[in-house]
Amino acid sequence: MPRRRIYNPLTELLAAALLVVLVLVVNRWEFSLAVLVLVVVPAVLLSGRPRQIGLAIVLVAGPLLVSSLLLHGLFYPEGREVLLDLGVARVTAEGLAFAAGMGLRMGVFTGVLLSTAMTLDIPDLLATMTHRGWNRKLVFIVGSAVGLIPHVSLRARRISRAQQARGLVVGRGPVSRFRALLTVTTPLVIGLLVDASERTRMLEARGFSSSAPRTSYLPDTDSRGQRLARRAMVAAVGLVSVIRLAAAMAA
Amino acid sequence: MIRLESAHFAYDDGEPFLTGVSLAVGPGEYVVVAGASGSGKTTLARLLAGQTGGDAGSVFRGAITLDGDTVTFDGVPSDPRIDPAAWSERVAYVAQGAWGQLSMMSATVAEEIAFGPANRGVPAADLRRLVDDVAAALGLKDLLHRDPRRLSGGQLQRTVIAAAVVQRPRLLILDEPFQGLDEEAARDVVAALEELRAHGTGVVVCEPLLPPTDPPGARVLALADGHAVFEGPLAEARRAGLGRYGLGIAGDPPRLGRGAGPAPVDPSAPELVMVEGLGFRHTQDAGASGDAAVLSGVDLSVRAGEIVAVRGANGSGKSTLLQHLNGLYRADTGRVTVDGVPVLGQPTGMLATAAGYLFQDTDQQLFERTVLREVSYGPRAAGLGRDDAVRRAADALDRVGLGALQEAHPYELGFVQRRLVAVASIIATGPAVWALDEPTAGLDEPTRSMLAGLLARHAREGGAVVLATHDAAFADALAHRTVWLEAGRISPRGAATGG
Repeated sequence: MPRRRIYNPLTELLAAALLVVLVLVVNRWEFSLAVLVLVVVPAVLLSGRPRQIGLAIVLVAGPLLVSSLLLHGLFYPEGREVLLDLGVARVTAEGLAFAAGMGLRMGVFTGVLLSTAMTLDIPDLLATMTHRGWNRKLVFIVGSAVGLIPHVSLRARRISRAQQARGLVVGRGPVSRFRALLTVTTPLVIGLLVDASERTRMLEARGFSSSAPRTSYLPDTDSRGQRLARRAMVAAVGLVSVIRLAAAMAA
Repeated sequence: MIRLESAHFAYDDGEPFLTGVSLAVGPGEYVVVAGASGSGKTTLARLLAGQTGGDAGSVFRGAITLDGDTVTFDGVPSDPRIDPAAWSERVAYVAQGAWGQLSMMSATVAEEIAFGPANRGVPAADLRRLVDDVAAALGLKDLLHRDPRRLSGGQLQRTVIAAAVVQRPRLLILDEPFQGLDEEAARDVVAALEELRAHGTGVVVCEPLLPPTDPPGARVLALADGHAVFEGPLAEARRAGLGRYGLGIAGDPPRLGRGAGPAPVDPSAPELVMVEGLGFRHTQDAGASGDAAVLSGVDLSVRAGEIVAVRGANGSGKSTLLQHLNGLYRADTGRVTVDGVPVLGQPTGMLATAAGYLFQDTDQQLFERTVLREVSYGPRAAGLGRDDAVRRAADALDRVGLGALQEAHPYELGFVQRRLVAVASIIATGPAVWALDEPTAGLDEPTRSMLAGLLARHAREGGAVVLATHDAAFADALAHRTVWLEAGRISPRGAATGG
C-alpha cells in the first residue's frame, strides 16, 4: 500500500533537497550516518515500496560506492598508514576512511532523493506549483521531468512482461532478476528516446507549454503552516551553512 | 474552416506521397479519411493537426489554411513552424495508440480529461463542470476516480477522446477512434461527436475500413498509396468498388478462400486449454495495462483445432482472462492448464512455447532493434540456436508478408506492419495455443483477411486459438464458439455458436 501522505509534495521535495545540502555543509561521517539511519532507512521502510526503492538505491549507489572504494582505497595520495602494498597501488587507512565517508554521503544522497522522487505525488506537486503561481516554464520542466519517472517504470515493466510472454524466464533469485533487468535496459533506453519527441509534441498539443496562466483541477492541499515551515527550513539551513562556512574560513 | 493543400510530403529521403491531395472541412462537417495500411491517412491527419514534420527531417510542400490564415510550406528548412500550443486550441488531434497520449501527470481519469483545459487557464469550477459533462456523454462517470494507466484498452481510448472533446475544438481529428471499443462505447463516441458537430465542430475520422452506418452528411476521402482515389458521400463510396484499393467495409466478414476456413472440431481432440473455476483480483501494483475487472468462477475448455472468441464489454475481463493462459497473471483460485502444462508454478517465460500472446497494444510487445531480431527472440528464448531461430523468424515473416522488412526497426513500420511483426513472433516461437487480444483492431481489409487465414490454418494444423474481440463479423466467420464475459463472469449466453 502506498504510504499515507502527511505533507505537501513541495514540502517533501524541499526537505529532501535541504537535507542533501545539510549533509554537504556539515561534512562529517557521524552526521551522514545519523541521517542514513534515522531518516533514510525509516523513510524507505515506511514508503510503502521498500523493495523497489531499495533496489533503485542499490542500482544507483552501488556502482558509485564500488568505484569510490577502488579509487580512494587504492590510490589515495595523502595516505600515510599503509595496510597493504600492491606495488602500483597501496591500500591506506586514510584512503579507506575517505572512501567510507564519501560512500556514506552518496548513500544518503541517493537514498534521500530516490525515496522522495519515487513516492512523490506528481499531480499534487504540479497542482501546488500552479496554485502558488510558479513560473509556467518551470512547472513544465519539473512536470515533464518528474512525470518521466512513472513513465519509465511502467514502460520497463511492460517490456519485461512482453519479454516474458516471449520466453524470457525470470527466476526468484537476485542473479536472475538482475539479468532480466539488464535485458530490459537496451529496449527501454531506445523506446524512451523514440518516445521523447512524441511525448513532448503530445504535451505541447495539450497546451502544457502555452503561455496562458494555468489552473488546476485539484484543490490546493498546501497550508499556511507548511508554507511557513518551508521558509523556516530554508532559513535554518541557510544559517547553518553560513556559520559553518564562516567557521571554516576562520580556522 | 480548415483547408489542406498538399503538393507532396516525404519522410526523410523517402518517396514523396500525398501528391496533389487537398481536403477542406467546414464547421459541423464529418469527413472520413479512409485507406488501407500505408495509404497516407495518418500523415494527412498529422498535417491537419499542424505536425508538418519539419523538425523531424520530413519535407512538406503545400499550404494549410485555418480560419482564413494560410501557412505555406516550400519543403525548405526556413519554412514556418506551427506553434503546437496555439494550433491545438482550435484543432484537437487524437492519435492512434491511446497509451502514448496520457500526460503521465494525472492520478485520475478526471484530472487527465481536465489536463488540456487546465493548461489553458479554464477556472477550476468550470473544469469540474466540463469534465462531468464530457464524462457523462462518453460513459466515463464511473471511471473518473480511476488511475488512467490501469484502464482497459477501450476505457483508455474513451478517456483520450474525452480529453480532446473537452477542449471544444473547432476541428477534431481522430485517428481510428473506434479501435478496441465495444458497441456501447462506440455509440457513446458517435453521440458525443454528433453533439460537437451540432455546435459547429468539424470532425475528421481516419479509418482503415469504411464505416457501415452513415453519420448524417458524412463525406469520404479515400486514399491509396498516398493518392486520393475517391471523394464524395459515404453511400457512394460504398458502391464505388474501393475494394480494389484494399478498402473494405467495417462489419463485413473477412474474405477466406475456398477451403481456407476452419475445419470442424474433432470432439475427441486433446484439450489444449483448460480453465477451471478461475478467480482473480488485480492487486494494487499489478501489471501496467489491463482492466481492473475481477474474474470469478470462469470455466473454459478449448480443444486442438478449435477457435474460440471471447467477447464482452470494455473492462469485462477479456484481456485478464487471456493473460492467464500464458502466465502473465496467476489465478487466485481455480486451475489453468495450457497444452498439458499447469500454469501455476511455471515462470511465465517457460510457458511461451505453450501459449503465444498478442497484446492489445502492439507497442507493448516490440522491444528489439530490427524486425528479424524481434521475431527470432521467441525461438532463441525457447532454446534454439541462432541460425535456426533466424530461419524460423524469416519463415514467419514471409508468412505474414513482411519478408522484405527484416532489417527495418519495428518503430519505423506502420501500425498494421507492427501488428504483423507481433503475430510473426508468435508463429516463429510455435506454441500450440494462440491467445490474441483484439487481433483485428486497426487492420485494413487485406490484412484482416490474411490474419483470418493464418488463424484458420493454425487451427487446421492442430493448434487452438482464443481471441478477445469486438469484431463480431470476424468472430462469427472464424470462431467455432463465442464465450461472453460480463463483469468477469461467463454470461449465460456463453454457449453461443459462431458461423
